[in-house]
Amino acid sequence: MAMINTEILVIGGGPAGLCAAAEAAEHGAKVLLVDDKDVLGGQLIKQTHRFFGSRQQYAGVRGIDIAKILIENAREFGVELTTGATATAIYGDGVVAAATDDGFLKVRPEKIIAATGAYENMLAFPNSDLPGVYGAGAVQTLMNVNGVAPGNRVLMIGAGNIGLIVAYQLLQAGIGVAAVIEITDRVGGYYVHANKIRRLGVPILLRHTVKYAWGGEGVEGAAIARVDERYRPIPGTERDLAVDTICLSVGLTPLTELLWNAGCGMKYIAQLGGHVAWHDENMRTSREDIYVAGDASGIEEASSAMIEGKVAGLNAAYALKRDIGLSKKNYEGCLEDYREQLCQLRRGPFGEKARRGKSALMGAPIPADRPIKSTPVPDEEFQKGARVVIECEQNIPCDPCEATCPHGAITVGEDMVNYPLLDAGKCNACGICVASCPGLALFVLNRDYSQTETEIILPYEFIPVPNKGDRVDACDREGNVVCRARVSRAVKSKKFDRTALVSLVVEDRYADVVRSFRISGIVPETGRIEKPDMSRVDEMDTIICVCEDVTRRRIEEAIDRDGAQSMDEIKRLLRCGMGPCQGKTCQRLIMQILAKKLNRNIEEFKPQTYRGPMKPVSLGLLAKADDEEEN
Amino acid sequence: MRRITEHPILTFEQGRKITFTFDGKTIEGREGDTIASALQAAGIRVYRESIEMHRPRGFFCAIGRCANCSMIVDGVPNTKVCVTRLREGVVVETQRGRGGVRRD
Repeated sequence: MAMINTEILVIGGGPAGLCAAAEAAEHGAKVLLVDDKDVLGGQLIKQTHRFFGSRQQYAGVRGIDIAKILIENAREFGVELTTGATATAIYGDGVVAAATDDGFLKVRPEKIIAATGAYENMLAFPNSDLPGVYGAGAVQTLMNVNGVAPGNRVLMIGAGNIGLIVAYQLLQAGIGVAAVIEITDRVGGYYVHANKIRRLGVPILLRHTVKYAWGGEGVEGAAIARVDERYRPIPGTERDLAVDTICLSVGLTPLTELLWNAGCGMKYIAQLGGHVAWHDENMRTSREDIYVAGDASGIEEASSAMIEGKVAGLNAAYALKRDIGLSKKNYEGCLEDYREQLCQLRRGPFGEKARRGKSALMGAPIPADRPIKSTPVPDEEFQKGARVVIECEQNIPCDPCEATCPHGAITVGEDMVNYPLLDAGKCNACGICVASCPGLALFVLNRDYSQTETEIILPYEFIPVPNKGDRVDACDREGNVVCRARVSRAVKSKKFDRTALVSLVVEDRYADVVRSFRISGIVPETGRIEKPDMSRVDEMDTIICVCEDVTRRRIEEAIDRDGAQSMDEIKRLLRCGMGPCQGKTCQRLIMQILAKKLNRNIEEFKPQTYRGPMKPVSLGLLAKADDEEEN
Repeated sequence: MRRITEHPILTFEQGRKITFTFDGKTIEGREGDTIASALQAAGIRVYRESIEMHRPRGFFCAIGRCANCSMIVDGVPNTKVCVTRLREGVVVETQRGRGGVRRD
């Protein structure tokens, strides 16, 4: 295929890439975007929950709908969108090759924006290679994009936002979740996400790990155990769970192969998820023609990925040789706006990781976080009237409650990380904020419903929605059934965007207790657990490299006996990283083993040397590219 | 496994039926499926046998990165079925080992 000349090439069509492309094109640049999938939107296309953040980052809108908006924007500004094209190398002369089904695209851009996203971390334990052990993103794709249930009963590993959100989505799809386990002593994600699944009866077990799975042709069960302060399983605490699916949500690693390949300066930053390309505040890497944005530049939320994309797109466009009509004043105005948005999103306790990570990367001091004006306070007692109660517990950067309240009763203020404050006098208990809260953390209580009863308005995102007059099992915040309750109202309104408002009437004493309900009885636990003899299961037999079938034992032997001291040496001895996944599954695990065995820090180990093509391509495809060259 | 027919947030169009074969058996998928999702919906979880230890392997990342779901599709080995759209009449086979070289 002929060489394609473009001003800006964006690699990756997720939130960062789409925003980068639209931004650059809006300012007049000629932009080509390539993505390896046949559908654009990246991971947004499977996010059924409403986003946090503010209006500028589409807060309150579901991820699936944000994807549509971003694709439309990019198209409107004239970005050329090419799907099914995987960028496989950035060559020294600045040419980028992208493999398609029919051959290679060869692109010569003036500027490159790498928005290649991330990949899911693997967790290795005996039998973790069995079918039925899936990445959390994979489970989301299967159920939310393809409409297929991954299994019947799931064990979720990891209580970060992804684990918590996917657990909730599994329940929405009618799939049982046996438990969410988390090895540390705290829920890493938003408490509001944890509360959403707790009140549906899913236990979140802190300080727990998975010891092993068992099964013939797929997962049939898993043994979990409590861990000590050094994360080692405590003997005698083992428990078996009958599950057919184990879902891993143990973090993400930035996908940076192309940036290594391009010779960008790289740095290991734990808070950003691993090695990332050094970049400045304008998202420019050490190679002045290459920019980064989104998870590829450090793991964060999709909201900040969109803004980083805009920063990269704006700067790449401004740096073009041709005068595209972007004035200095316009450039500076936009940049300031985006920087402020990023700063807002990274405020508070949840932004700390990104603040620290980005500062460490840039070698800049950590910017002092402006003091947060309002923090969670226990809701003061009120015994009369009807009004909303706010249970968001943490300083999350988000403001849909303020934005949607028609009465101006809720104030978050300029800093969206502030805790929302209620002016009870202005609240008329309409419930609009209840339906808009991305964390489903607002409830309306009417204590004057009758002399002895309180009416509670709950957000409900399950089917079927009960009808007025139905009786349901009312549950507390841990999902325990506490009483029967009458449904006094059920509102499904288009403006509430698929969140129903269900009003329950309970005795006054349950007003502060009931926060959820179940229509029918509790999902029955499966009967007796059938388990083969697992007494000889050996951690050393765990398969670390799934492409080449390499066990932990062989890797440890290569280090102890053969003296391997780096990923490249392990690769030469055992082929780890040479299989079709190119090390995406095993590399992080091997670097952890190396660090532990050699008693060094993980950041001292470099990943394998990357050379194009970054993904396996057929020899036929390569030969075809060569033929065309000669013709 | 099963198809999700009702969902509080999403609507799944139950698209046109697509028939294909898996290891000689006729299986039905739906328009919009990948080969992997059609197999999952049919309750098939083992897609290949690992190269040395002959262990069962299946779907893992669903976005074409891990290659755990490599199968032989219309005679072509090492096809990542999680990112390959299902087509009418496609012949899907369990991959054993590394997958041979096709001789045309």
